[in-house]
Amino acid sequence: MTSAYPSDAPEQLHGAEHPKHNLTGFIIFLCSESVIFLAFFSGYALLKTSALNWLPAGVDGLEWRMPLINSIVLVSSSGTIVLAERAMARGNLWGFRAFWLLTMALGLYFLYGQAVEWSGLKFGFTSGTFGGTFYLLTGFHGLHVATGVGLMTLMLIKSFIPGNYAGGEQGVQATSLFWHFVDVIWIILFVLLYVWQV
Amino acid sequence: MTSATFPTSEPKPSWSRYFSFNTDAKVIGIQYIVLAFFYFLIGGLLAMIIRGELITPASDLVDRTVYNGIYTMHGTVMLFLFIFPVLNGLNNLLIPTMIGAPDMAFPRLNAVAFWLVPIFGTLLIASFFVPGGPANSGWWSYPPVSIQNPLGHLVSGQGLWLTAVALSGVSSIMGAVNFVTTIIRMRAPGMGWFRMPVFCWTALAAQSLQLIGLPALTGGAVMLLFDLVAGTSFYRPEGGGDPVLYQHFFWFYSHPAVYVIILPVFGIFSELFPVYARKPLFGYVYVALASFIIVGLGLIVWVHHMFPSGVAQWMRNLFMVNTMLISVPTGVKVFAWLGTLWRGKLRLSTPMLFCLGGLFNFVFAGITGVMLATVPVDIHVSNTYFVVGHFHYVIYGAAVMGIFAAIYHWFPKFIGRMPYEGLGKLHFLLTFVGANLNFLPMHPLGLMGMPRRVSSYDPEFAFWNVIASLGAFLLGVSIIPFLLNMISAWVRGPKAPHNPWNAIGLEWLLPSPPPEDNFGEHVPVVIARPYGYGSGLPLVEHQAEREQALTLADKMEASR
Amino acid sequence: MTAPPTKSPGFSPLSIGGLALWVAILVALSLWMGQQAYRWLPVQASTAAPLVDGLFSFETAVGTFVFLGVISVMAWVVLMHRAEKYDETDAVPIEGNTKLEVIWTAIPFILVMAIAYYAIQVNTRLGVLGPMEHIHLANPVEELGGYPADRLPAEQVEVIARQWSWEFRYSGAKVSSTELHLVVDQPVTFRLVSDDVLHGFYIPAFRLKQDVVPGRAINFNLTPTREGRYRLRDSQFSGTWFAANQADVVVENAEAHSAWLKQAASQPLQVGISDAVQEYSKRAKQTNPGWATVPPAPPPQVNVPGSNTLPHDA
Repeated sequence: MTSAYPSDAPEQLHGAEHPKHNLTGFIIFLCSESVIFLAFFSGYALLKTSALNWLPAGVDGLEWRMPLINSIVLVSSSGTIVLAERAMARGNLWGFRAFWLLTMALGLYFLYGQAVEWSGLKFGFTSGTFGGTFYLLTGFHGLHVATGVGLMTLMLIKSFIPGNYAGGEQGVQATSLFWHFVDVIWIILFVLLYVWQV
Repeated sequence: MTSATFPTSEPKPSWSRYFSFNTDAKVIGIQYIVLAFFYFLIGGLLAMIIRGELITPASDLVDRTVYNGIYTMHGTVMLFLFIFPVLNGLNNLLIPTMIGAPDMAFPRLNAVAFWLVPIFGTLLIASFFVPGGPANSGWWSYPPVSIQNPLGHLVSGQGLWLTAVALSGVSSIMGAVNFVTTIIRMRAPGMGWFRMPVFCWTALAAQSLQLIGLPALTGGAVMLLFDLVAGTSFYRPEGGGDPVLYQHFFWFYSHPAVYVIILPVFGIFSELFPVYARKPLFGYVYVALASFIIVGLGLIVWVHHMFPSGVAQWMRNLFMVNTMLISVPTGVKVFAWLGTLWRGKLRLSTPMLFCLGGLFNFVFAGITGVMLATVPVDIHVSNTYFVVGHFHYVIYGAAVMGIFAAIYHWFPKFIGRMPYEGLGKLHFLLTFVGANLNFLPMHPLGLMGMPRRVSSYDPEFAFWNVIASLGAFLLGVSIIPFLLNMISAWVRGPKAPHNPWNAIGLEWLLPSPPPEDNFGEHVPVVIARPYGYGSGLPLVEHQAEREQALTLADKMEASR
Repeated sequence: MTAPPTKSPGFSPLSIGGLALWVAILVALSLWMGQQAYRWLPVQASTAAPLVDGLFSFETAVGTFVFLGVISVMAWVVLMHRAEKYDETDAVPIEGNTKLEVIWTAIPFILVMAIAYYAIQVNTRLGVLGPMEHIHLANPVEELGGYPADRLPAEQVEVIARQWSWEFRYSGAKVSSTELHLVVDQPVTFRLVSDDVLHGFYIPAFRLKQDVVPGRAINFNLTPTREGRYRLRDSQFSGTWFAANQADVVVENAEAHSAWLKQAASQPLQVGISDAVQEYSKRAKQTNPGWATVPPAPPPQVNVPGSNTLPHDA
């Protein structure tokens, strides 16, 4: 799998010689990405604590039961993705695909649930800082969930290339890491938005 | 080790590769640097218009809206389209070669990161041509003034500005991930952390700051963009928003950003002083580690840009103390350079002159920096020309001069030709005099109370403004010998040997210019600390054989 | 393996004497520069000014010493430690000196902490406070605002910053103006508000500045100490006519001030100063005026417009 000229297939060449690079780079990227969420979280907290009238007129707070169910679905999907990785480690490609698909389904359900929640809300993006921060946080997170599902789709397709995942694959590891990241972000988000409603 | 290690009659690669999606870091490095200087000229032209306006008290050269757009774009172009790209260019050239890697960790990502620059650069320049003109609220884009959008268009100069800055952030983060991974993972055998050149240490420090700080700016800018185009109220007081919140987001990144700019320059000084004084870098380990102390402190000082904004007293005191502390690790570096020069055998070639001039300006800027850190003084001089003078001393006086030093020093290595020394010295003289004439008068102006960003001023400020403008025009002229030098040396300069400066470093154990995969299969094993001048010890195993092969290759190249 | 750091070639009495002399010269120069620093600043017209100027002068002196010290070393090495013309050999392989590292870390640290301590003292005396809506302080901090704590401000002036004019309202006397009048040696409290965007309330002669944040009312105190006419300049970029958003500040004795207030109260409301409005109307007649701009707010209607073209002291 060596390439005579480095510029031809750099990933492959480096993948063969230095298998850890892609994952290292991705972890570094995720650390950086977490700061943008941190920025949004702190903006939310600052605006909420300094506001005279936090909730817009006609809004009493956020309904938390459906989002809680959504959260359970999302957290479970972190569990199923671990099972998928375990299956791959044992060489069970069809087992991997099954749990992977299940994870994707759970992720898609989460997005569906988010859309349902959004459509039922009585405030919009421009309803003061409350509306702005709510949609910004949940929207940005939702974007990451959608990206995760997209990455998973890519990995699923690649799993059908013969021999692609024979040696364990960084792409799957990275996607899984991303998915856990999205999950942890959601837990923090849930506490900030739905639990901290004073 | 055979003498046929390095091919001596490779077909010359085509110049058109510089215009293509090429994944070789050395090509990308040149692309970054040349593109950056193109934007430098644009930013410089804008500066000439600014100083042309300010040579007289009245607003009589251009309309005030035009002036505001021009000073905004001057800052924006110089920061996002010149200084960050040129530093990324140096990173691309120097990091893989200095650590003995064949390329960056992610070559295709590297190329994508570069090609984003002309894309967002075009967006930014295009903003001059939309109906409302470009962004015109300063490179800070503070709301609410930045979101007033008088024409109410969806596509406004400010909107394009925000989009361009967001893309710049994406490009920078891509670069940062690449540089950090490369430095952490791809060093040559034997190159432990404390055998790595200081330039790589400072690059690692600077890129870490990018990774940590940029997302905060992106977050703040995204919210500003929504306020501008979607009617949200993150920063609009009428909707319950807070303009000062934006300032926190903005400065949380933009303060570390100045360390992103100056740390690589510290690295350049640390690399060049040993070469041109023929002496080891004094206290190499301390210089390396001080870079990370600067990173840590640099992340907790941002409120010093907001002292008059409306922040509590305890905050002002805290951030004042943190800011003043940064002078300690910085001082360690400055003294280390002095210690390197002391009892050295100095040679005042062009790169050395730029380093010395840069150090001179930097110390001055550091002192005005401590003054700005002092809250009671800052309350008087913040948002005045004192600040403009301070940061131009750092950026032009120190950073740009350091970058010029780096270009003259490594030009032979990566272009394969020697620049002209006479033109280089002329460039230095004009730059040093021009920069001091341009930026020193800004300090009394600020102390007297002249605000910054003004398109007109009271007559008592005229004297120093005239001097500053004359200095600026001289700076404009100073670019001419530089451009002449670069172009003619590139096209027909004398061929460069593999180590024209007799420097110690892995990059100098490559031909000039290096082959595409640098050391390829024959990565040297590092056996000594860097900067071993005077010790007579080799840097790598089999160094003598390598030098022999390289010298032979130089001779054959010269006779071609 | 590296050569041990060679001992420096012994400090002869001559070189120590020379060094001591040079340091003495630098100290003298630095002290002199410290004195010169006062001349770079405007006249001192508030209780804050001597404090700020003293701190700045101190930093100038210290800074001069550090700068000249570093530059002397650089000049010395450039003059005395140059390579011979054809000497390509290396210099002494000195890699470092831990003792020196400790010294040149410790001394700057102590110096910087000393400056910070002095600055905190001045800061406390200035008592320039930011608004507290954002940050909830456990203890209310005493407002000193540059006047003796036993005297409360006698006068309160509301300052309304707009794009692009300054309006001053004296709630007690029910008078408004676009020229700020203050009584010498009398504390005054400003209530800073903005009708639109961020502005900066900056009077260089007083050495004081406070951003005016829309959506907040910021209390700001000071005590003028010198009669005269000074400039108030907008210091936080506020749009097209930011540079023209300036007003005059007249510091006068108590009698003159009450006379002015009394006279003002009898004036009907008239158009106040706004250079921006004047320029804007001229601009409308031009063929190619430039890029789009937010139109200026109408000039404030005030009892006394005053002037902003008379000569000012600072």
